[in-house]
Amino acid sequence: MPTHAGTPLIEAVSLNRVYRRPRTSLTRPGAAVHALRDVSLTVGRGERYGIVGESGSGKSTLLRLLCALDQPTSGSIRFDGQEITGRPERRLRFLRENLQIVFQDPMSSLDPRMRVRDLVAEPLAALGLPAGDRVNELLDAVGLPAGAADRYPHQFSGGQRQRIAIARALAPRPKVLVADEPVSALDVSVRGQILNLLADLVDELGLTLVFVSHDLSVVRHVCETVAVMSKGEIVETGPVDDVWAAPAHPYTRALLQAVPTLEGLL
Amino acid sequence: MRGRPNLALLTGGTLVGLVVLAAAVSFFWTPHDPTLVDAARKLREPGGGYLLGADKFGRDTFSQLMVGARTTLYVGVVAVGIAAVVGTPLGVVAGMTPRGWLSELIMRVNDLVFAFPALLLAVMLGAVYGPGTLTAMIAIGVATVPAFARVARAATLQVMVTDYILAARAAGRRRPAIAVRHVLPNIGSVLIVQASVSFAIAILAEAALSFLGFGTRPPIPSWGRMLQESQELLFSTPRLALWPGLAIALAVLGFNLLGDGLRDHLDPKLRRIRADG
Amino acid sequence: MLTVEGLHVRADAVELVHDVSFTIAPGERVGLIGESGSGKSLTALSLMGLLPEGVTASGRARLGERDLVGVPESRVKDLRGRALSMVFQEPMTALNPLMRVGAQVAEVMTLHGRPRHEARERAVELLERVRLPEPGQIARAYPHQLSGGQRQRVMLAIALANGPELLICDEPTTALDVTVQKQMLDLIAEVAPALLFITHDLAVIASMCERVLVMYGGRVVESGPLRDVFTRPRHRYTQGLLAASRLTPRGTRLPTIAGSVPPAGRFPSGCVFRNRCPHATPACETTPALTGDGHAHACWHPAD
Repeated sequence: MPTHAGTPLIEAVSLNRVYRRPRTSLTRPGAAVHALRDVSLTVGRGERYGIVGESGSGKSTLLRLLCALDQPTSGSIRFDGQEITGRPERRLRFLRENLQIVFQDPMSSLDPRMRVRDLVAEPLAALGLPAGDRVNELLDAVGLPAGAADRYPHQFSGGQRQRIAIARALAPRPKVLVADEPVSALDVSVRGQILNLLADLVDELGLTLVFVSHDLSVVRHVCETVAVMSKGEIVETGPVDDVWAAPAHPYTRALLQAVPTLEGLL
Repeated sequence: MRGRPNLALLTGGTLVGLVVLAAAVSFFWTPHDPTLVDAARKLREPGGGYLLGADKFGRDTFSQLMVGARTTLYVGVVAVGIAAVVGTPLGVVAGMTPRGWLSELIMRVNDLVFAFPALLLAVMLGAVYGPGTLTAMIAIGVATVPAFARVARAATLQVMVTDYILAARAAGRRRPAIAVRHVLPNIGSVLIVQASVSFAIAILAEAALSFLGFGTRPPIPSWGRMLQESQELLFSTPRLALWPGLAIALAVLGFNLLGDGLRDHLDPKLRRIRADG
Repeated sequence: MLTVEGLHVRADAVELVHDVSFTIAPGERVGLIGESGSGKSLTALSLMGLLPEGVTASGRARLGERDLVGVPESRVKDLRGRALSMVFQEPMTALNPLMRVGAQVAEVMTLHGRPRHEARERAVELLERVRLPEPGQIARAYPHQLSGGQRQRVMLAIALANGPELLICDEPTTALDVTVQKQMLDLIAEVAPALLFITHDLAVIASMCERVLVMYGGRVVESGPLRDVFTRPRHRYTQGLLAASRLTPRGTRLPTIAGSVPPAGRFPSGCVFRNRCPHATPACETTPALTGDGHAHACWHPAD
């Protein structure tokens, strides 16, 4: 695949996504819901890009579009210079090889009836790549014992399961890691481990990170750039420290004020 | 649930086990030849080597029941097999593309077959191809396909909205691979339950068809035909109807209980109590 | 007012809550902190007499002069929803989807003997008290027509309906957005007669409670006034948890607690935290007692 060093890695332009609610009348179609309105964003190579929003903000819809798991109603997304919208799955191989996802809840994102070995190797199998020793290598990289490969997901704790999910995402050696609220389902005492692991891997492997969260303070720890979403739109974007120090949009201000912090209360 | 025995599973398993055992043993041994007609033993009372007595042709009832179990299981396995092999893929395909035209087509055809009385189908097939065990099995199997397809579709719909399907898609899996590697293993327990319940229905249907003369042909023993042959002697020798009737009832009960028990046993949500803080 | 002494909760052979004791005075707001598997929710459910089947509680828990644990179900049922009530984490599943919100609030009052028409009127008052706009209209709405925050307010109205002496909240804002969470917390603090607040979120508890209990592995490992516990934690688990809750600047490593929370029944003997504790010594194989007046801790090697 050709790489265009000058172009941004991910470039989304004017994305709209309209859902139809299920019809409630026999004659009229269901109401239209605008999950995304005119959303544009650019993620550079090696950037750590945070997307912050609450439920209903459209962040999950945006994420699915960026991963080509859903199609926009209008707009375009270029990955490494290539359009990814409107393609059938068989023509998305370049994307699947280079962009992988870690989901929020490792309880539900790992098939309960598959062994860890098969779960971690699944992206390789799907792309027809040889697995070889890669599974053990990956389990080692995320800090799991080699014996983990022959067990099932329910035999692991939440934090360990998220490590499995990260190992799986790294299997095809992607350029981009998309993390969808990867620590919000985890215990506080485990959260730090996973965030540290992600930071280490992103550094070591030179990954580009797209990190979605409802928590601006987590995004501040992880990312350089942030896009704040509300009601299907990006209301503010910029370097995370600037947004944190001087939020321009009223919604961002409200969000910052609402987050309870230990420092502020003691 | 932990630590408490699953009564339905135990009882159902035992009843089904008895039927299977009787069928298996009948291949090697029966007290008497179940098809041997002997006027001397006509309507012989139970006792003296004839545990349950003999029928109006002098055939040993117990031996007939044992071999009849074979017929029953044979019909059940083939009918449920047809239903599962045809119905499951249809249901999975319909469940994976819930809004597609293919899904619509499958489910509407399904409705048509579902609306068609199974007995009528068996009678029609019997009229065209001649009555017999095979015809009965095919008719029962075809009539059971919609039930399987519906259950498979409903279970597939549930599986398709889970994160691990999304994760599989994100990993680059295409639909056929997702169906085989993720959907089928995860709807397996539902299908097993459906199979055991369908098995019970198939047993009843076979008995009904044999009773009407569209099922198993003489001289092969069948519980349904034993009932039919005992009809005229219902008041004089009720035991001739009682034993096959009881066998059918217990076998049907057994498979239904087995289905219920398996449902509880295989459902991880019911099985695993969450000792969450 | 609420006195809990030596509360144990077990499922078959597994002990899930071990020897928990604490008190709540009228008007006091007490926080119960714990991660998954800590036993914090089971502690609350055993007070409500709502433990799942196969899980049993023993020990003593009294609300005023009335026993809550080890008494027949009918006695607890009478107290539940009247003398003490509870708000759960997930407001969508706790409400009946086919019943109007106002009727659900009124129902808890008629169940405890209030006449129907009076309960209807009082329901609207309660909806107003939990700051729902246009309470008359909200009363006629169905749960799915409300937002998550509004539903949780309805749950609070139901909990307050019979004027309870104690309100128990189990992660009441975890399912809500942060912007809605703050208003909800302020409201709970304002209306609760006495509060037992359960959460895993230290920052939330810091804004709500005067006194805290820290639970880990089914035991209270530290308790005391919030400010003392949070600024000078003694138990190594509390210390680690507080450190892990603070997000340091980008590019720095976050402080972590090693390992993960063991599944129920797999905590080590002696000090439950010793397999993850950097200060553990052979002394920790013996169970440390919860000692200290006011600010108590159960640790052989406490922090200063």
